[in-house]
Amino acid sequence: MRDLLEEVVQKGLDADASFCEVRFFEERSNNITVENGVAKALGSGIIRGVGVRVIVDKRWGFASTNIPTRKSVEMALKDAIGGARSIASQSAEDAKVVDAEPNVGTFAHKVKVNPEDIGSEEKVKAMLDLEKVARTYSDRVKDTFVTYRDVLTKVAVCNSFGTSIEETTPRTYAYCQVIAKSGDNMQIGFEVVGNVAGYEIIEGIQPEKFSGEAAKTAVSLLEADPPPRGTYTVVVDPDVGGLFVHEAFGHNSEGDLVFGGQSIVSDKVGQKIASDLVWIIDDPTKPNHGRFIYDHEGTRAEPHMIVKEGILVGFLHSLESAAKLSCRPQGSARAQSHHYPPIVRMSNTFFGPGDMTLEEILEDIDLGVYLSGSQYGYVETQKGQFTCKVEEAWMIRKGELKEHLRDVAINGLVLDALRNVTAVGKDLEIKMPGICGKFGQGMYVDSGSPHMRIEGIVVGGRR
Amino acid sequence: MKNMKEVDLITPVEKAVKILSKMDLDFFDVYASYSRSLNIEILGNGISEARAQTDVGIGVRAYKNKGLGVAFSQSLKTKDIETTVKRAVSFAKMAQPDPYFKGIPGPSKAPDVPDLYDNGIISLTLEEASVLTKRMIEAASEVQQGAMYAGGVTGTHSKGYLITSTSVSVFSEKTSIMAELSLNYRRGDDVGSSSEYDYAVSLAEIDFEAIGRKAAQKALEQFGSKRVESGILPLILTPESISSLVFSLVGALSGESAVKGRTFASGYLKKQIAPEILEIEDDGTIPGAISSGTYDGEGVPRRPVKVVDKGEISTFLHNSYSAGIMGVESTGHAARRGYSGYVGTGPTNIKVRPGDSSLEEMIAETKSGILATNASFSPNMVSGEFSTTIDEGFLIEKGEKIHPVKNLMMGGHILDLFKNVELISKEGRTIGKGYFFPSIKISQVKLAGK
Repeated sequence: MRDLLEEVVQKGLDADASFCEVRFFEERSNNITVENGVAKALGSGIIRGVGVRVIVDKRWGFASTNIPTRKSVEMALKDAIGGARSIASQSAEDAKVVDAEPNVGTFAHKVKVNPEDIGSEEKVKAMLDLEKVARTYSDRVKDTFVTYRDVLTKVAVCNSFGTSIEETTPRTYAYCQVIAKSGDNMQIGFEVVGNVAGYEIIEGIQPEKFSGEAAKTAVSLLEADPPPRGTYTVVVDPDVGGLFVHEAFGHNSEGDLVFGGQSIVSDKVGQKIASDLVWIIDDPTKPNHGRFIYDHEGTRAEPHMIVKEGILVGFLHSLESAAKLSCRPQGSARAQSHHYPPIVRMSNTFFGPGDMTLEEILEDIDLGVYLSGSQYGYVETQKGQFTCKVEEAWMIRKGELKEHLRDVAINGLVLDALRNVTAVGKDLEIKMPGICGKFGQGMYVDSGSPHMRIEGIVVGGRR
Repeated sequence: MKNMKEVDLITPVEKAVKILSKMDLDFFDVYASYSRSLNIEILGNGISEARAQTDVGIGVRAYKNKGLGVAFSQSLKTKDIETTVKRAVSFAKMAQPDPYFKGIPGPSKAPDVPDLYDNGIISLTLEEASVLTKRMIEAASEVQQGAMYAGGVTGTHSKGYLITSTSVSVFSEKTSIMAELSLNYRRGDDVGSSSEYDYAVSLAEIDFEAIGRKAAQKALEQFGSKRVESGILPLILTPESISSLVFSLVGALSGESAVKGRTFASGYLKKQIAPEILEIEDDGTIPGAISSGTYDGEGVPRRPVKVVDKGEISTFLHNSYSAGIMGVESTGHAARRGYSGYVGTGPTNIKVRPGDSSLEEMIAETKSGILATNASFSPNMVSGEFSTTIDEGFLIEKGEKIHPVKNLMMGGHILDLFKNVELISKEGRTIGKGYFFPSIKISQVKLAGK
């Protein structure tokens, strides 16, 4: 396949492209759905094709095809060139990429147990066993839902710098969702495990800490109160901290949003933007869900320091954003599939650890809110306003966790919140395997944090 | 899209059906689709990229002893179709019986819903799309220069073909055009940002200049935003923010989750949730509308359904699976996830009946309150609780918009918002020739601010 990609790159250059990139993408997935003790559906799918991207007449053109044959890929090249030429007469910023050293290599992430070697019957049984633990946790458990998924992704990239790489990445997941009911009150709990890994990740699940935990959360939330409204000192657990660093700051550090004028920190490199305690790192080389060796432009992945002791020191880059912001690319461009061009994405994003224990972080809080477990979040990068929805919370009174709270969300202005970080724990955890959406593309990411204390955060609620 | 090469969907679907017919299954269906999209992307100072995407795939849904097997492929080659069929069938035989499954629908005749594709979009070129995009940006720039932009224009032409073991055979063809512009202006550390969009079946329905102008005007209005005090105040939702509230309710009334008692609205069928002035209809038969179709994803005819009638929830939206659980007819709301083989439930064109007030009256009659011009409710679909940010809004005092707000959240139960509907405007916004949302005043909501 790479021979074909390299030949089409050459054809792109022969047709006056100043840059040409041809990318093969294949993703094979299997899934199982268990609901209330019944493995009611099994499924599988194959996505496969080629995306072609060119710069012609200082404009980007992109085209994709599901048919990875020479004829179709050459047709996609023609479409991409035609696309770039079609916008050549429109006023816009010139397209450019940084001069990159070529990378050549093939990498396959190793697994201990290949999901393909495990029969569907065995996977079904494992999911049924997990589901049973949730269903039998309490008579207040009303509904249980467990899914299994394995995905094998292969990406090959060739470009006009001479880069020719291929990477094969297996990912395996289990998800459990439990609904508990008491009268008209219904609450939900969930747990997920997932990583760049094989079936060993499923074999390593301790049911009581997975589906049992999801059931425990759902049942315990039946007794929880809605949160009081207002501005509080909050303590975030590693999941909420992970959601916060990803949504509130991570997106603002993406190079394409920076040069596109969509980031609130675009002009703040070298400036103090956060408390001295804040370190923010994005590291695709860590063994977490956002791991990769080469990005989808073929750049070798490296750890990226974004904020060091509260000072903004860098952004995440594609070949384009590195060119426009005069930086060196460190491998942050990825695409959901062959149907999309690579854009700047986070990988494993986290707050660096401090030196405090949770007890020390809590001890001098007279009144606050402890936030635990993440649901979802979003940020308006251009305004720097973020919202994070958390799974559950507790009131903090005189340094101790008291009333259990449900349906809690927080809101704030990114830079205010980062300046108001007043304590950072030493207990960094990265365990939020998820899919992040941006510009209509989903991408595998992870994030995490140690426990952290932030002053002046708006907590929304119905009380 | 003049250069697009037509893809034959009929032959691969029939090939799959032929194999499946010999497989001793209880039920099956095969759906293949093809789409071609042209997209002009905007980022930074203007147009940033031109894209062409061709997507094709085939999905199989197979049932054996009430167990479901699903498989899909993006390849229509005979060998890949055979593999896809084989996998779906082996999965169906391995799956356990779903006690709720009753079967899939048979054929029904329905009058064609016309005007669902536009030759102007079918023949659109990237060059033409870039001119439309440029018009949108220039209109924004004429309001005020100096913005940074994001967004784009996307035209799509799609076709689908469905055959089921119950003799359903449905071919569909649609076009769509979507235009979106987000922009921001900066004055020192102050940011004025907003966005505007529209989508339709045909090019003639979209006013690209109006999108650009509105986006710029809305962004300029956001300068000088301030925090406001926490409190309990009236809330006025414009069409842009009411849509999210209505979709939250309709989502909670849809399909398997609603029927199985997993949503906050599951227990409210035939119950009054709002004053009689609130009526919500779903109508997938409106000619030329963005979410219309003659048939749903299982080949059941679309039909208008009053979801909320005089404040009372009158029905859930069903596909055949959820309808089977309740022992009622499908309402024609089966929604396919492309060619993945999976079939869920989803709304079509949602219309909220206009009232007799107006946005101006609502503001003028509000002593102290909040006007939310952009908010996304996203409630907990199980409990119905929500806690969300007012992304764009204004403080109202003594009947006038005072200043934009920031850092302001609202919270409560989604059904309390419906219970507290006070006024509905007669004017509103029509989207895609099918959706209609007026402005709505809610008598009180709990706000978390300073």
